[in-house]
Parts: sequence; structure tokens; C-alpha cells
Amino acid sequence: MVSLQAYLIVSLILLITGLVIMISRKNIVAILLGIELILNSAALNFVAYSKYTTNNLDGHIFSLFIIVIAAAEAAVGLAIVIRFFQIKETIHIDEVSELREEIAR
Amino acid sequence: MNYTISTIAPIFLLPFFAFVINCVLIKKVPKFVPWVSVAGIVGSFFFAAAIFIDFFTVYNTDYYIHKVFNWIDLSHGDNIFKIDLGIFIDNMTAVMLLMVTGVASLIHIFSTWYMKGDVRWERFFVYLSLFTSAMLGLVLSDNLLSIFMFWEIMGFCSYSLIGFYFEKEEAGNASIKAFMTTRVGDVFFLLGILAIWAVVGSVDIPSIYAAISNGAFEGKTVFGIALASFAGFCIFCGTIGKSAQFPLQVWLPDAMMGPTPCSALIHAATMVAAGVYLSLRMYPLMYVGELNTLIAYIGGITAFGAATIALIQKDLKAVLAYSTISQLGYMVLGIGVGAYNAAFMHLVTHAIFKACLFLSAGSVIHSYHDKYMPEMGGLKNKLPYTCIAMWCCTLAIAGVPVFSGFVSKDRILGDALYLFLQTGEGVYAIPTILGFVGAFLTPFYMFRMMFLTFHGKNRNKDKYDHCHKEHLTWNQNVPLLILSVFTLGFFFSGSLTGQGIISFAKEKKEWFKVLIEPPVQQRLEKFSNVTSQPFSFEDTRDMSVIPKSQYLKQSGFAGPGYDTSAEEEYYDEVHHAHVLGAVASVIIVALSVLLAFAMYIFGFISPSFFYDKLSFWVKALKNKYYMDWLYIDVLIKKGLLKLNNLLSWFDSGIYDRYAIDGWAFINRQVFKASHWFDRVIVDSVAVDGTAVGTEIFSLVTKSIQSGYIQKYIIVLIGAIVALSMFLGF
Repeated sequence: MVSLQAYLIVSLILLITGLVIMISRKNIVAILLGIELILNSAALNFVAYSKYTTNNLDGHIFSLFIIVIAAAEAAVGLAIVIRFFQIKETIHIDEVSELREEIAR
Repeated sequence: MNYTISTIAPIFLLPFFAFVINCVLIKKVPKFVPWVSVAGIVGSFFFAAAIFIDFFTVYNTDYYIHKVFNWIDLSHGDNIFKIDLGIFIDNMTAVMLLMVTGVASLIHIFSTWYMKGDVRWERFFVYLSLFTSAMLGLVLSDNLLSIFMFWEIMGFCSYSLIGFYFEKEEAGNASIKAFMTTRVGDVFFLLGILAIWAVVGSVDIPSIYAAISNGAFEGKTVFGIALASFAGFCIFCGTIGKSAQFPLQVWLPDAMMGPTPCSALIHAATMVAAGVYLSLRMYPLMYVGELNTLIAYIGGITAFGAATIALIQKDLKAVLAYSTISQLGYMVLGIGVGAYNAAFMHLVTHAIFKACLFLSAGSVIHSYHDKYMPEMGGLKNKLPYTCIAMWCCTLAIAGVPVFSGFVSKDRILGDALYLFLQTGEGVYAIPTILGFVGAFLTPFYMFRMMFLTFHGKNRNKDKYDHCHKEHLTWNQNVPLLILSVFTLGFFFSGSLTGQGIISFAKEKKEWFKVLIEPPVQQRLEKFSNVTSQPFSFEDTRDMSVIPKSQYLKQSGFAGPGYDTSAEEEYYDEVHHAHVLGAVASVIIVALSVLLAFAMYIFGFISPSFFYDKLSFWVKALKNKYYMDWLYIDVLIKKGLLKLNNLLSWFDSGIYDRYAIDGWAFINRQVFKASHWFDRVIVDSVAVDGTAVGTEIFSLVTKSIQSGYIQKYIIVLIGAIVALSMFLGF
């Protein structure tokens, strides 16, 4: 029998990995992948807690919703990435800094 | 009669509206201007006559109307500052209104003949209407403030009319002289008003009378003299200026530069009489201030001095001008010796006969085209109606019995004589003697004028032949004849000779004496508990303080418990002195007339005899007692001009250079300092400092807003971690 901690550790690893990817990678597609990892860690958490504590289907249903939202989010995110590439001809995240005041360099 | 705004105001407003309308008409249709003026004053005459008839039917000494409206009210809380204007009509006002409107109407009518075709002759009527309205306003006024305002309007009109022929340099100078001389008196008058205001807290005549009767003036001093004396003296100075009394008489002879009808109206009948009227109004104040002796002296000196100057004048109008000053002197003398009633009576009779004399002189001058008597003579054939009118007035002014001048002037002299004889005070001897000597001179110079003008042989054939024979014309000599009718004494005294002798009326006292009583203490008391009414108040005859049933026609005044026998006794004494005075003055007049006949008709005595014998005196007379020389050459040229130069030097040398320029220098330095402060401290440090501080702060804050999404994520995560740690532990 696998314990709850094992699930949580896997979930944590996924979360940390996702965060690190989000922070460190400059490629927008990679950042979207990081977000997918974080969503998956959250979904894993829901399923694990559902199994070990409440014994009902709430967590599973939430996991299904998360998967659906992740799919939608991936679709929207990729569409943004494509539009971004059309304008900037790059997908480097630091190019998205128009809200900042232009500091004379 | 109900006294409302619609029955009183037209008296003053009709001439005023005539003035306003004429101001518009004079540019468009000048030919209507004289008739608008005449219509205005004649309308006003009917309203005045209605008031006079009402007062005459009431026939009560103490009947008066006092109505006010609020003009200025600045009071708040306990600080009362309120000025009411209004009207005050008593018997004196009623008589005065009738006299002023009547004389002014006739003079307006005469002017349409006299001025016709003259340069700017329509403009003359504009001034005349304004003057008349101001005079009527003054007479109606219930307070010294509005009296002062109308007084000044009259002064302005007098100025404009004296300088009517301003092409002539003398006319311009004379108008300035008249204005400036009367101004001296006016300044004192204003001071007097302020002094009265300080005591009474109001300047309307009933309040002043009430204050005098309550003794409000007692014990108050200013500059160490009694306040009543000070105020009375100041107001009397107004009279001196306006009525051409002794120190300030110099302007009136020069004022003859104006057209003759304006001399008749302004400088003989009304404006100069307004000064006397003011003194009569303020008679109780003069009485409380114990100014009687001073007033009597000034009146006596003026009456005598002007009469002597009139003796040698060659100009027809100059004789009349000096006789006006002299007669005004009699009125002032009358005020001084307590002959209140007689002084006012002389004011009225003098206004009538002197207006007629001036109009007659105007008629002569206009027909003969000359005003110098040595060029005249024998004009009675050419100007018969003028001659008749002028003779009536001459007899009146001379004091011949039956005529009005005898009744009024000899009553003044009688009162002066009574005061001198009964009180035995030597101080009144000199004014009395001066008055009697003046009464000797008056018939002489008037008869001399008449003889030189109308009688004897003509001395300038060209002009005599050129002069047209006079016909009865409604606006040339009919006004003169109407005026000359009223030179008869019984209109004023009710008896042929005055003094109640040969009387038509059964009563011992004539209407003038009953109606016009001096406002002495016992009659002032009624004013202390009478309040004034607004114009909307409907009054009835019962308002008069003494009911008609208690009022005795015989003694004039009879309150409850009033003993009439003492008064009768007093009147008998006065009567004896008056009869003595009257007999004396009849003798004096007879002697004087005889002398005039002897000199100018029969030629027993040549005038040059007196010229030789009294050459020093004649020289003084020719120079008008050196008063003009004293004022213009000494006082103004030597004194005032030097003083002015000194003041001018002080002004430009000291004040401008050091005070003004110094102040400018100080201002410049202060400006420099403050400019530096503004530039350095305020602009550089405060304003720019704030800007720099804001910029530095913004540099710090905007560095956080990097725009890099990943940095935001780090901060977000850091914040979440920190928050969860804070919540967890």
C-alpha cells in the first residue's frame, strides 16, 4: 500500500519542477509546460486526498475539471503564443515588457 | 387739506422736472424751454398757495407739519446711525413758499421778455428752474443736511448765472469770486451741522428745537467755548457768506455781472434771503449760544456800510446790489436784537420790492441799452409803467409810511431801540445807531437813483431817442406792476401804517405777528414730545398742538394757565418803543428825502460839495472800504499766494523728493529683497526641491515595476510563501 506522503512528495516534486520551469525558462511554450506540471501536481493532490481522507468522488471530479481547464488553458495559451510570435517574431518572455516605463539605457 | 407726497412734493418737483425736461429739450427744440420753466414754477405757485391758504385758515402759531422718510439707515444693534429726510412746514415756511414761488413766477415771466434773443438765452431758464427747485427744497427741508445740499445747488446756480456771459472776463472772475467767497461760509456751515449732530444725534429742526428746550447744549464745550455758541456761530457764518454780510459781502456787487432777472431772483429776492432764513430757523440756537450781540453788530455794520457805498455808485444795478446788502444787514440786525418776526417780515417785503426794483432796472437797462446813471435822466416819459413800479418800490425800501418797507424795517429799528432803551445795555447802542443812520441813507440813495434815472434832463440824446416808448406788455411791465401792488404795507400788517394804527382789522395784532412767533423756550417745549410722521400718514387738523378752542387771537399764545395780562403789558411797552422808533424814522426819512430833492431836483446843494468836503471818505467808498483790496491784493496775493508757494515748495521739494521718492526707494529695495527670496528660497528650494524629491522617490518605486513577468512570479511566490509561513506559525 502506497502511503499519502508518497503521493504528496511526487506532487511536490511536480510543483517545484513546474515553478522552476516557469521562473527559469525564457521560452513561453516551456513556461506553458511548467504551468501544466503545476496543474497536474494540484490534480494529483486532489486525487490523493480524495482517496485517503473523504472516500468520495469530489477529488476525482475536481481532477477531471482541472484536466479540462488545462486543455482549455493550453489552447488559449498556445493561441497567445502564436499571435505573439506573429507580432514579435520571437517567443522570448522578456520581450513582453511593454507595461514597464522605458528607462533610458 | 391733507398733506401727502402728492400735495407737497410738486412744489419742489415741478421746477425740478422742468429743469430735467429742459436739459433734454435745449438741444432739440430750444424754443419750448422758457415755457416749460414758466409752466413749472407757476404750477408750483398754485400748490404753494394751497398750503398758504390752509395755514392761514388754521391761523395758529404752533401749527406745523413734519413728515419724514428714511434716507440712510446704517444702524445695527445699539449703534444708531439713521438719517431721515423730510419736510417741515410751519407758518414761516408757508409764507416763504408763497413768496418764493410768487416772485419766481413773475421773474420767470419777465425773463421771457428780458432774455429773449440773448446769447444762450434758453440755457438761462434751465439754470433758473434748477435754482428755483433748490430754493423751494431748502425752504421745505426739515433738516440741516438737506438744507445744506440745496444750499450748495443754489450756490452752483448762482455761480453759473453770474458767469452767464462768460465771454466777458469780469463775469468769469465775478462768478469764481462769488463761489469762493460763499464757500468760506459754507465750510463753517458744515462744521456747524457736525457740531449739532455731535450733540443732538440728528439734524432735523424739530429735534434740534427739542434738544435746545431740554438743555442738551448746556455745559458742552468745544475748544473751550460753549458748543451752542460754536455751532450757532458756524451756522451764522453760512448766513454771512450766503447773505453777503460784513466780512464776506464782497461777492454780491460783483454778482451783478449776471443777467438782471437772475440778480432779481438769486441776488435779491431768494438765495441771499435763504441765509437769513437759515439764521431764523436756527434762532433758538443763536439765542442759547448768546450770539445776539455779535449778530446785531454784523447786521448793523453791514446795513450802514453798504448804504454808504451805495451813495456814490453810478451803475444802476450796483446801487441796488449795495442796497440789497444793506437791507440784508437790517434783517440780520433784526435777528440780533430779537426782532424775529420783523426780520422775517423784512425778508418777505424786501424780496418783493427788491425783486421789483431789479426787474425795473432790467427793464430800463434793456430798453435804454445802458446801465450807467450819468447817461440817463428823464426816462419817465419813455418808460412810464416801469417808473411807476419802481417808485412804489423805492418808497417801500425808503420806509415811507403806508408802504411795506416802513412796516418791516421800522419794526426792526423799533425792536433795536426797545432793546437799547429797556435793557439799557450800551452794547446795543452802536447797532441801533448804525441802523438809524442806514435808515437815513437808504431813502437818499434810492431817491438819488430814481432822480438820476427817471427825472431831470436827459444826458445822452442819442440813446434817449433810440429808446422806444414803453407799452403795457404782459411779460415786460405787468410783472413789475403786480409786484409793486404788494409793496403796500397793509398786506403784511393789516393796517395802513403798521403798529396797528389806522387798522382795517379789529384785532390788535396783525396776521404776520400772530403766525410768526419767535421759537423761544416756552414754544420749543412742544417739540420734545412730538414725533415725526412718515409721508403715508394721513393727518388732520387736530394734530396742531394747541387746540383751536384754547387759542386766543389777541395774544397769540395761550396755553392752559397762561397769564395774558403780563404779555399785554409787555406788548404795550414794545409798542411805545415802536411808536417812538416809527416817529423817529419817519422824521429821518423826511429829512433824507428833502436832502435828495435839494441835491438832485432843485439843485440847492451840489453833490460835488460833499465830494470835496468828504474826499477821504468818498475815496474809501469808491474803493468799497478797501475790502476787495484787502482780500485780493493783501490776503490772497501777498498772503495766500506766498503761503501757497511755500506749500508748493514743501510739496515738491520736501514731500515729493524725500517722502514720495524715499518711499519709492524703500519699495524698490524691498522689492529686490523679496524678489531674491522668491527666486532663491521659494522657486529653487521649495518648488524645485519638491520636484527633485518626487523624482528620486519615483526612481526607487518604478524600479520595482520592471515589466518582466518572471520577476513578478518570483515576487508572487515569495509573497505566498511568506504569507503562508506567517499564517502557519
